[in-house]
Amino acid sequence: MPVATTTALLDRLAAQAGPGAAVRAGGDDDAVDGVQPRLVAAPGTGEGVAATLAWASSEGLSVRVSGGGTKQQWGAPGGTVDLLLSTAALCGVVEHRHGDLTATVEAGAPLRTVDAVLGAHGQRLSWDPPWPEQATIGGIVATNDSGPRRHGHGAPRDSIIGVTMARMDGRVAKAGGIVVKNVAGYDLARLLTGSFGCLGVILTATFKLTPAPPASRTVQATVDSLEDAASVAADLAASSLTPTAIEVAWGPARLLARFESVEASVAQQADAACAIVGARGASVVLAGEQERAAWERHAAHWSPGGTLVKLSTVPAELFATLAWLRDRAAADGLEMAAAGRAGLGVVDVRLDGPPEAQAGLVGALRERLPAGRGSAVIRRGGPELRRRVDPWGPIGDGMRVMMAIKRQFDPAALLNPGRGPGGL
Amino acid sequence: MESHVISGLERIVGPDGIVRDDGELLTYETDGLVKLRSKPGVAVLPTSAEQVQRVVRLCHEHKVPFVARGQGTGLSGGALPHPDGVLIVMTRMNRILDVDIPNRRITVEPGVMNLDVSKAVAAAGYYYAPDPSSQVICSIGGNLAENSGGAHCLKYGFTVHHVLGVEAVLPDGELVHLGGPALDAPGLDLLGVLVGSEGTLAVVTKVVLNLLRKPAAVETLLAAFDSTEAAGNAVSGIIGAGIIPAAVEMMDRVTIEAAEAAVHPNFPKTEAILIVELDGAEADVSALFTRVEEVCNEARASEIQIARTAEQRARFWQGRKAAFAAMGRVSPSYYVQDGVIPRTRLPEVLGRIRDLSERSGLKIGNVFHAGDGNLHPLVCYDERIAGQADLAQEVASEILTYCLDADGSITGEHGVGADKAEHLPKMFSESDLDTMQLVRCAFDPGYICNPGKVFPTPRLCGEVPGPYRRHPAEAAGLAERV
Ligand SMILES: Cc1cc2nc3c(=O)[nH]c(=O)nc-3n(C[C@H](O)[C@H](O)[C@H](O)COP(=O)(O)OP(=O)(O)OC[C@H]3O[C@@H](n4cnc5c(N)ncnc54)[C@H](O)[C@@H]3O)c2cc1C
Repeated sequence: MPVATTTALLDRLAAQAGPGAAVRAGGDDDAVDGVQPRLVAAPGTGEGVAATLAWASSEGLSVRVSGGGTKQQWGAPGGTVDLLLSTAALCGVVEHRHGDLTATVEAGAPLRTVDAVLGAHGQRLSWDPPWPEQATIGGIVATNDSGPRRHGHGAPRDSIIGVTMARMDGRVAKAGGIVVKNVAGYDLARLLTGSFGCLGVILTATFKLTPAPPASRTVQATVDSLEDAASVAADLAASSLTPTAIEVAWGPARLLARFESVEASVAQQADAACAIVGARGASVVLAGEQERAAWERHAAHWSPGGTLVKLSTVPAELFATLAWLRDRAAADGLEMAAAGRAGLGVVDVRLDGPPEAQAGLVGALRERLPAGRGSAVIRRGGPELRRRVDPWGPIGDGMRVMMAIKRQFDPAALLNPGRGPGGL
Repeated sequence: MESHVISGLERIVGPDGIVRDDGELLTYETDGLVKLRSKPGVAVLPTSAEQVQRVVRLCHEHKVPFVARGQGTGLSGGALPHPDGVLIVMTRMNRILDVDIPNRRITVEPGVMNLDVSKAVAAAGYYYAPDPSSQVICSIGGNLAENSGGAHCLKYGFTVHHVLGVEAVLPDGELVHLGGPALDAPGLDLLGVLVGSEGTLAVVTKVVLNLLRKPAAVETLLAAFDSTEAAGNAVSGIIGAGIIPAAVEMMDRVTIEAAEAAVHPNFPKTEAILIVELDGAEADVSALFTRVEEVCNEARASEIQIARTAEQRARFWQGRKAAFAAMGRVSPSYYVQDGVIPRTRLPEVLGRIRDLSERSGLKIGNVFHAGDGNLHPLVCYDERIAGQADLAQEVASEILTYCLDADGSITGEHGVGADKAEHLPKMFSESDLDTMQLVRCAFDPGYICNPGKVFPTPRLCGEVPGPYRRHPAEAAGLAERV
């Protein structure tokens, strides 16, 4: 344990964090799960981040990394934190190569801001994860978070083509590049995607982009039962239509299928989707303001409060699992709602009720999911729930290698300790 | 190789699963990169994951290096055997284990050929998207190791986007399962880094792949141009118009002539052609296809042919896919280079390659994935002429510097392998390479899994036992962990 006073540490930290860095003592507002960092630094440059990490290593200080702070409660509750390292001051679009449909962005840039810059040339990242105003590129990549458009455009893992990172020992490294196709060297960009910041701090990331489509339609289908929702979703996914999203929301059952392309295509495909729904539900085609409002309603599922459990199954088993959850939650006296990627088999289940009942439900759900064919990860939950039940659940036999990787990258286990997947 | 290792191997794979005869071992001495040759100490052909495990465990115990080999079509020497090591030939593990149409998944052994995956699900209306030109002769295991791409990867992505799970044998013989048929298995994305690691992290024994629905509509055109620059401008124009075709391929005069001689696709006799294919929903394809035609005309295409029938489309693709092999018709030998540039830099870099060809006196053909900016210059030479083979090497290397000057990459799909390890430091700093090798150290601390490939100098790894504690000397900044 370091013995230096906070004031003395702050002086040394300021010298490391470099020009333009904001450095201060931690306060109540910085606490996560009641754990308050001693020091807070927001370096203005990548070198500043690297020097800060090297210094923290030499002082033996543990570091928590934060972007927009939207997902600080994800994963396992961390232990004590000496230094909160914010990427908030690294918030620029480094380069938008619109002719090449690629862009390099600093980690602390909020998604909304980035898409506004890319939009000037009719392009975008095509991700629509929750909280785009606050969620930063670094945080979205570090959690591989995504939204409805993952169905058509994939997750951050699918569009990342390069990364620069700062290691806990202060070395800066890059992998990948700025070209859309590239197999030179190991793919560290993908390794860091979804790593919850436990291997290094992402400084910049480069992505392939998509052209913003000229037209959009959403078919909203209200169905009577989860069983009907299941058969409609399966038929949509098996059709040759090209939706960018197929979402299910349950409580009551609703499906949203989005088409984004040229006008003639979205109009035609929306009609075809309604025909697929047929008599199994009441479908409407939404455009413009109505469409925007429908997606905003859908996004409310991710509004603050309640527990979020990410449930992943093979697509054809999703709805049976949801039906089981519905019955079990009712029996346990829990409120439950679900929304997410019907075509991919990934939904966020929202729970409200006593933590011990929630913990019991998550445990029972995990037992029901065959190894490798599904998982239930607590993305957001109160500290009590996350102490009662491992937020990650079983990781499988790959855990050994993951631990070895963590040891290689961060031998003293100072970086986001305990917050990585599986508690790395 | 020590005789008790060999007899141990024979006990594992049986007498019909081991190759020790010098003459027979010659089969394996090279892959698609024929300039590098090395005979393995011994080759084994396991038939199950369990056999692979036992072979690798034996290697681990005796510190014997091993190299996995698929079909040996790699073009970077990735499957080049280790002279004192075991070559693990995966061709007998070639069963399709499970076809799951409702979930759009297929589970295969790594020795299954790429095209056989699509064939297995074609009747149900599905296919496997990554389509390397070598798809008839290359294995899924090799595809995974190289993160192989193909003509249609522009829109649909590379192998890494379509592999959902693997079973693999670690260099100490332990079995791991990464990912699976369901998305988002919790944990670090080890699968993401295993794909494209060129057989240096583990031996893959089972693979779960994602399948795609065949598109409702496909349209293909062939546009002829008076120069590669003009064709390059058309590529930029298409991407700039916000269109992501399924494929945009370019061929220049040299490769057009070669393809014509070999398979007679009846391509226009011109300086450059583009093959552009759109697929998807009917209405998308018809609207955007018109736009592509306009862009090609704006870029001064001298001729546009539209495939009216499936046969005509097949003819376009046959001409394109035969181009590598067809080069044998116009040159005694050629070296296939593989580099990437941002697609907007195509005209400039193609111009530099043409100048280089004139300066060196060596013919250079170009046939490549233009939509991705993935160049494949084919440097022609005649090894009977003294010095030409070396000159071809120099010319090919110089092309890589053009790619790097344009902020590109030294390889887009063929891999670094044994061929380009020396070029990797031109693209990545010492710190970058050190960081990549941290991953290697986690998987293969003993450095026995395909050693000598990808990285020019290995990083020695001290595995840190127990909880994460630093060595005191290291903590004091006196020593780097090596
Ligand atoms: C005419 C021709 C055209 C080509 N066109 C393309 C193209 O369009 N796109 C493209 O991407 N490539 C192309 N290639 C290159 C080559 O076909 C691919 O790299 C292919 O994926 C190699 O597969 P393979 O089975 O031959 O692997 P091999 O050459 O046998 O091995 C390649 C690498 O994979 C490793 N490996 C093989 N099996 C396993 C396993 N089970 N576990 C772990 N590691 C393993 C090996 O160690 C080696 O490093 C082409 C090659 C030729 C000859």
